[in-house]
Amino acid sequence: MEIQTQEYKRVAVLSIVGRIDSATSAEFEAALQDIMAKGKRNLILDMSQVEFLSSSGLRVLVTTLKSLRKGGGELCIAQPSQRARDAIDIAGLDVLFKFFDDRESAIASF
Amino acid sequence: MIEAICDAVDSAAAAAGFDERTRYACQLAASEACENIVKHGYGEDASGKIEIRLRASLNDLTIELLDTAPPFNPASPPNATPWSVEDPPVGGLGLLIIHRVMDEVEYERTQGQNRLLMRKHTG
Repeated sequence: MEIQTQEYKRVAVLSIVGRIDSATSAEFEAALQDIMAKGKRNLILDMSQVEFLSSSGLRVLVTTLKSLRKGGGELCIAQPSQRARDAIDIAGLDVLFKFFDDRESAIASF
Repeated sequence: MIEAICDAVDSAAAAAGFDERTRYACQLAASEACENIVKHGYGEDASGKIEIRLRASLNDLTIELLDTAPPFNPASPPNATPWSVEDPPVGGLGLLIIHRVMDEVEYERTQGQNRLLMRKHTG
């Protein structure tokens, strides 16, 4: 798994490439905590290149969302791959997140 | 290890004639079952083994997982307690995925082994 981060004035975009599972979820969580530690309260996850998303990754998504919302922030998901979207839907977590078809519209929403 | 199991499940699901999304869903279920065996069973024991047996026929896939970890029954229905968007669940997602994807989930403890049988039918 690889994570690339781009910081904007009001939001940070994290692009994730590869598998998010029990082997990589700690690294995924650490990347999210790092950006939150910099004071970013609004995050967009570009999940267009996520190849696999297990419950370990879903747990990180949910805990990050809860933490951000507690501080008045938000976590959005941009252009999720079919596989990322299917995992979120199967777990019934689709009602939690705001989804955008592309990064630009996600960034513009803040 | 789990990635290799996913690859094997994908091949068997393809042999069963499943479409790409169903194949992926079966990979997810197998992955969750294996993660549970490691997390709730073997724990820190890195020498623990998981044996996987796959049977495929048209529109039908059976995934059998065998391990010698302490007893853990994933066939019990997941917690169905309603949750709110304000307080979403962070646990139990793996079991939920297994039961939502697979049509049958059976467990037995026999001769010191956990045996988990998961079946998926389509068509």
